[in-house]
Amino acid sequence: MLLEKHQELITELLSRYPVKRSALLPLLNLAQREEGYVSEAAMKEIAKILDLTPPQVYETATFYTMLNLKPIGKFHIQICKSIMCGLVGSDDLIQWLQNRLGIRVGQTTGDRLFTLSAVECLGSCGTAPMMQINDDYYEQLTAEKVGRVLEDLRREGTSPLKSGPFMFPQPAGSR
Amino acid sequence: MPQYEKILLKNMEQPGYSGSLQDYERTGGYQALRKVLKGISPADVTDIVKNSGLRGRGGAGFPTGVKWSFVPKDHPGPKYLCCNADESEPGTFKDRQLMERDPHQLLEGMVLTCYAIGAQTGYIYIRGEFRLGATILERAIEEAKQAGYIGQNVLGSGLTANIYVHAGAGAYICGEETALLESLEGKRGMPRFKPPFPATHGLYQQPTVVNNVETLANIPHIVTRGAEWFASIGAPPRSTGTRIFCLSGHVKWPGNYEVPMGITFRELIFENGGGMRSDSKKLKGIIPGGASAAFFTEEHLDVKLDFESVAQAGSMLGSGGVTVMEEGTSMVWAAMRLMEFFYHESCGKCTPCREGSSWLLQTLQRIWARRGRAEDLDMLLDLCKNIEGRTICAFGDAEVAPVVSTLRYWRNEYEELIREAEVTRPAKGEIPVFTH
Amino acid sequence: MANQESDKFVTITVDGITARVPPGTLVIEAARQIGVMIPHFCYHPKLAPDANCRMCLVEIEKIPKLQTSCSTPVAEGMVVKSSVPNVEEARKSVLEFILANHPLDCPVCDQGGRCDLQDFSHEYTPTTGRFKELKRIFPKEYFSPLIETQMNRCIQCLRCVRYCDQVMDVQALAPSGRGTMTEIKHFSIHELDCEFCGGCVQICPVGAITSRLSMYDFRPWMLKRADTICTYCGDGCQITIQTKDNELIEVNSTHGAGRNNGDLCPRGYFGYHASVHADRLNHPLIRQQDGTYAEVTWEDALELIAERFSQIKLAHGADAFGGLITSRCTNEELYLFQKFMRVVLGTNRIDSSARYGHINGIQALRRVQGTHRWTVTYEDIVAADTLLLVGTNITETNPITGLKVKEAVKKQGAALITIESLLPIRGTISNITTLASHHVPVHPDYFGLAVLGLIKSVLEQGLATASLSERAPTFVQSIRSAVGKVPWETVERHLGLGRDTFVEAARTFSQAKRVIILAGQGVLRAPQGSDVVTNLLDLLILTGHHGRPGCGLGTLAEENNDQGAVEMGAVAEYLPGPSELGDQTARKNLSKIWGDEIPQSPGATLMDMLEEARTGRLKAMFIVGENPVATLPPQAKVEESLDGLEFLVCQELFLTETAKRAHVVLPACSYAEKDGTFTNTEGCVQSVRRAMEPIGESRPDWEVFSALSLLMGNPIEYGEAKEIFKEIRSAISGYGLLGPSATPPRIKDEVVDRYLQEGFKTDVEVRYAFEQENTQPDEMLTLASVQSLFHSGKFSTRAKGLLQIQASGFLNVNPVDATRLGLADGDPVRLSNTRGEATTKVKLLDRVPVGVAFFPEHFDQNIRGLFSLETDPQTRVPYFKLTRVRVDRMQEEIPGKG
Ligand SMILES: Cc1cc2nc3c(=O)[nH]c(=O)nc-3n(C[C@H](O)[C@H](O)[C@H](O)COP(=O)(O)O)c2cc1C
Ligand code: SF4
Ligand code: FES
Repeated sequence: MLLEKHQELITELLSRYPVKRSALLPLLNLAQREEGYVSEAAMKEIAKILDLTPPQVYETATFYTMLNLKPIGKFHIQICKSIMCGLVGSDDLIQWLQNRLGIRVGQTTGDRLFTLSAVECLGSCGTAPMMQINDDYYEQLTAEKVGRVLEDLRREGTSPLKSGPFMFPQPAGSR
Repeated sequence: MPQYEKILLKNMEQPGYSGSLQDYERTGGYQALRKVLKGISPADVTDIVKNSGLRGRGGAGFPTGVKWSFVPKDHPGPKYLCCNADESEPGTFKDRQLMERDPHQLLEGMVLTCYAIGAQTGYIYIRGEFRLGATILERAIEEAKQAGYIGQNVLGSGLTANIYVHAGAGAYICGEETALLESLEGKRGMPRFKPPFPATHGLYQQPTVVNNVETLANIPHIVTRGAEWFASIGAPPRSTGTRIFCLSGHVKWPGNYEVPMGITFRELIFENGGGMRSDSKKLKGIIPGGASAAFFTEEHLDVKLDFESVAQAGSMLGSGGVTVMEEGTSMVWAAMRLMEFFYHESCGKCTPCREGSSWLLQTLQRIWARRGRAEDLDMLLDLCKNIEGRTICAFGDAEVAPVVSTLRYWRNEYEELIREAEVTRPAKGEIPVFTH
Repeated sequence: MANQESDKFVTITVDGITARVPPGTLVIEAARQIGVMIPHFCYHPKLAPDANCRMCLVEIEKIPKLQTSCSTPVAEGMVVKSSVPNVEEARKSVLEFILANHPLDCPVCDQGGRCDLQDFSHEYTPTTGRFKELKRIFPKEYFSPLIETQMNRCIQCLRCVRYCDQVMDVQALAPSGRGTMTEIKHFSIHELDCEFCGGCVQICPVGAITSRLSMYDFRPWMLKRADTICTYCGDGCQITIQTKDNELIEVNSTHGAGRNNGDLCPRGYFGYHASVHADRLNHPLIRQQDGTYAEVTWEDALELIAERFSQIKLAHGADAFGGLITSRCTNEELYLFQKFMRVVLGTNRIDSSARYGHINGIQALRRVQGTHRWTVTYEDIVAADTLLLVGTNITETNPITGLKVKEAVKKQGAALITIESLLPIRGTISNITTLASHHVPVHPDYFGLAVLGLIKSVLEQGLATASLSERAPTFVQSIRSAVGKVPWETVERHLGLGRDTFVEAARTFSQAKRVIILAGQGVLRAPQGSDVVTNLLDLLILTGHHGRPGCGLGTLAEENNDQGAVEMGAVAEYLPGPSELGDQTARKNLSKIWGDEIPQSPGATLMDMLEEARTGRLKAMFIVGENPVATLPPQAKVEESLDGLEFLVCQELFLTETAKRAHVVLPACSYAEKDGTFTNTEGCVQSVRRAMEPIGESRPDWEVFSALSLLMGNPIEYGEAKEIFKEIRSAISGYGLLGPSATPPRIKDEVVDRYLQEGFKTDVEVRYAFEQENTQPDEMLTLASVQSLFHSGKFSTRAKGLLQIQASGFLNVNPVDATRLGLADGDPVRLSNTRGEATTKVKLLDRVPVGVAFFPEHFDQNIRGLFSLETDPQTRVPYFKLTRVRVDRMQEEIPGKG
């Protein structure tokens, strides 16, 4: 139960808005972080917290593509397929990923480790091609780099190749 | 590479600059706020911004000070500021850098704006994918609160300015200002029809200003250095200041470049961006202002990057995303890829946009799969005409721009594919079966 | 609304025609007034504009782009063009876009023939389309037993969703996904759970949402229509019954028509099959020696009745008869019944179902203000700035009056004070307390105490109107002293709420300009019902609202014609009018019209008649459409009373528990088979029209009374229902007009004065006293027998549609109580108290107050045995809706315990 576990955070979130419903996306995001997806039970609980009906929560949840309403793999690979990444090779990368993982876009690996999605622009066109895995961005990808990321994740659950605070191009001597 | 004086990226490009409150203060941060609280009235702040000529960096380029002045002064209820940090326009990635690298610059701009318009609450609506940015901002807000720059009784002045981060969850349309408000109210991000405008009936039907991250980040500098200073930069009088252009595609050095408005595409692409990725390939097309802007060709290289010049040349400066395409890039493919985006992101409220995007996309996909028909091209243009100007928000106009402009400049590529359709019979598996 | 505002008008020109309309009018409405119909899909006058379909685009001079007329308010001097090529072409293209994804399954679509998309396409588009791509296809999904969606047909105007939210306040429909693939759903894959008002079906401009009850059964142009009035509650909704070859196909309502303005509830929209249930009586029946019934002809049945009635009258006198009639009958029938009883049989021993509670309100209104009707209308509810609801659970008992309240709150921003037992928890059945600005949650026993608390707070805060102390000093003083005797501690002990709860509510109420009070079944059907209504009128007087335009009190009738039953004199204490039995002018007037004497002996109410029957004083009863055996709890010993009668005649639709004890049973027509009028709770007289031929040999009730009178040698004859109405018109002033009373009854100042000077004194101490002690042992729950939104009396339990939503009763308890008692959803439980025990199943419901359980009165007769029975000493209303019970989980059902 969200409320039990995050009582304080939820109270704080609610205090940010004069109208309860405004806390809907924050709570849905929280629910997803909690379970990896937004379950029906979570939607019902959120409805109760916010004085909404479950359909009101559902209609909002289904509008936003980041919210998964079904369980997905532990690592959600979202690779950008928009034109800017497309111009510099994202299609090949997607193909490569499909082969490497043995799944097609939209599917989850048998070990439920990886789910592969091809998504629209994630706002890293200057460092294309790019992908997001869970909360982290990975940019200026090559097949080789993606391969390393997958390995890292499999082994460590995280990868040092993820992006830090964005600055591109790096000014000379800034690091 | 030519050097211009930077305003927004200046601090963060200093070696070792971490974006912390300390760093920001060290470079003169929050001085503008102190200055204002010492005795510049809200109306005067608005006037300074008006006189600076600053125009919105989110896409529409509306004069910022003028927008603020629409907010009723004597409104009895609360007023709101919303920072548009949805940054979802394909080809745009500047706000992300501004937030992740120098969050206090934005925060100071927001507190100043709250002061000017009389809002006590500001929300930063950040696209859900920017988890890092949201975390950095949350941390910065906490710092600023501790230091008394944000919250109740700012710097002992009696000003209340609460600022919160509100993350979206994946919907491009939430960058449209009224969809953003709907989304912030916990609803589906569907744009509202206008009038009434947010300035009078915005968040929770209260007076609200929506400004882009880059717009707001300019405010402290304008307040500190004065309207005249800002108005002298760029291409006055209509396009003052610098802009961060996001360069992507087939260039050597893609990335964010802050330059004064009014330099040419040629300067941006060839001098800042180092020219084409592959020296042997010529430039073929440019998307001059994010996915919603009509394409340019190499003939437009000398068009100036300011609001008027780009508009006059038949496109728009938009969000500042400049995408370069080299020879060999299929413009039908480009239009189709963009259409996939628009089809995916149409909120579905307006009939022409909703149905039009799927019709246009299916037709483009068919042509790309060598299944085009002679009558398709005129029909595409006709459909575009029926979408443009007939929808609630500018998304409708945006979704037709790539189709209309590629047909304008590269109709032959379409015709070529259609001709191929007449002679080739693609094998069965090659025909994409459209899945809605 | 201020007068100056309505004086202001703006001038607008549409297609060359100029008109003056009020500012704020939408261009599409202004055009309609001029006679220009602008095609539209998403616009609906009931809903806030959404401007999503883009069908209504028009050209407005000086504005470069086409504008949506549905969302643009008029401006002075605006020039609108709706039939220029530019606009025509835009319409054509919008239709082309809609048709791109719309399946052309018109031949099998229930909307075919009354479809906006068909009509506009016919008018504006070419016959061939250019769209040659793949149409969007949604997999077919089961939606609900009554409402079906066909999402391929959806044009995404969201009218259904907006209606469900804005009008009904239900929020059960979710547009899910986005773009072309947006689909109307409930919650994920779950089947629809909502009020089933049918509003989404009716408001869909195409055939995307349809009723399963009539799916594929008809083509609209085959249907015969009859506009009539629903019989399921006192709201008086206009419905259109549609039949095909004398078969009931569907019910609709029309925006702009009737007191409901096109809105309905599930009973009205899906409950129509009760009338044509297979169990309907087809022939008159006479009970044989062996107890079985023989089907006989009308002649035989009526002759037998006439003969027996005459014999009994001869042997025992006129007061050996008693008559009971249901207030579901038409005014004409109620009127004729009492006339038959009074003139032909010669007795005033008459009662109707108005006795179960409605009479409580009427008596209070007559006493304090000299009216028997509301002095306000539904329009006043909508225009009110403050509303006080007491014991109504208005969504479930009077859903359409509830919509007026919702409209006042949601659209006009009225303040709402609710004294209700529901907790303000939202669900997909609306709950009026969630809209309240001040909610006072009370256990169902204590509505009266909460009203007292409110009055106490008004007086304590000095909010009573100053002028009253001059006009009626003792009145104010007496109430002040009476409420002073009930300390806040007592209030607090029983309500769990103290002084603070009432402060804001009392202030809001007192400072309002247009105030309406609505009192519901929780007040009217509970002990001291009439007193509480009187106290509420006191509250209006104290705060100076009484008699002010737009202010007043309304009581909510449970049955469709409770109000008519009283006005027709089908109750023991009143002649038609209603006039007191002893009112000499009224008697004189009536006997002139009737050409006959009016009996002198006093009347007898239902409970008194049953008593007299038991003691042998009453020998015969004529019961029309009432079923006291199943309605009253066993302590009323109705069976014993009826079995003791020499002769019992029942006129009924079905062989009910009561009818089964009759010597002769006569088959009656349902409302769908007859003509007449009903008077709704608000006092609006409306036409009931025959929609189909009578089932079997059934006949309208009035025909039977008339025929019997003939056989008994005292003919009261009429050719048709209209002729009776003509007589009613001369007997009762105010029945001259059908329809909403243009001028609602006026408060009689002399009556108010008399009440303020003297009248109140008789019982002010009693009315404001509170002696009840909270005796509920911890382990017991207060059990309330309540009305369900999906049923009305027992009649609706014969409607197949409604049974699909609710087929049996559940004990609704709060999860907190459930946990305490170790109960889970669906558990079988035993209810018990000193009167007996009963079994049922539990259903958890958040909005039920802790310590209380609700059970719908329409089901499980064995539960009746648990209720106490108490008869009001003044108004003779039997109270049997509340009791206390132990609730135990039934052991035998617990799997694998131990
Ligand atoms: C479809 C659409 C998407 C938009 N997306 C963004 C966005 O991601 N970020 C942004 O700042 N403005 C976006 N805008 C522009 C906003 O509506 C609005 O004009 C802007 O936030 C105003 O801020 P400004 O005046 O500072 O530019 C978008 C507009 C449209 C029509
Ligand atoms: S133009 Fe498109 S994106 Fe904008 S409101 Fe209409 S349907 Fe939604
Ligand atoms: S009726 Fe105006 S946009 Fe739909």
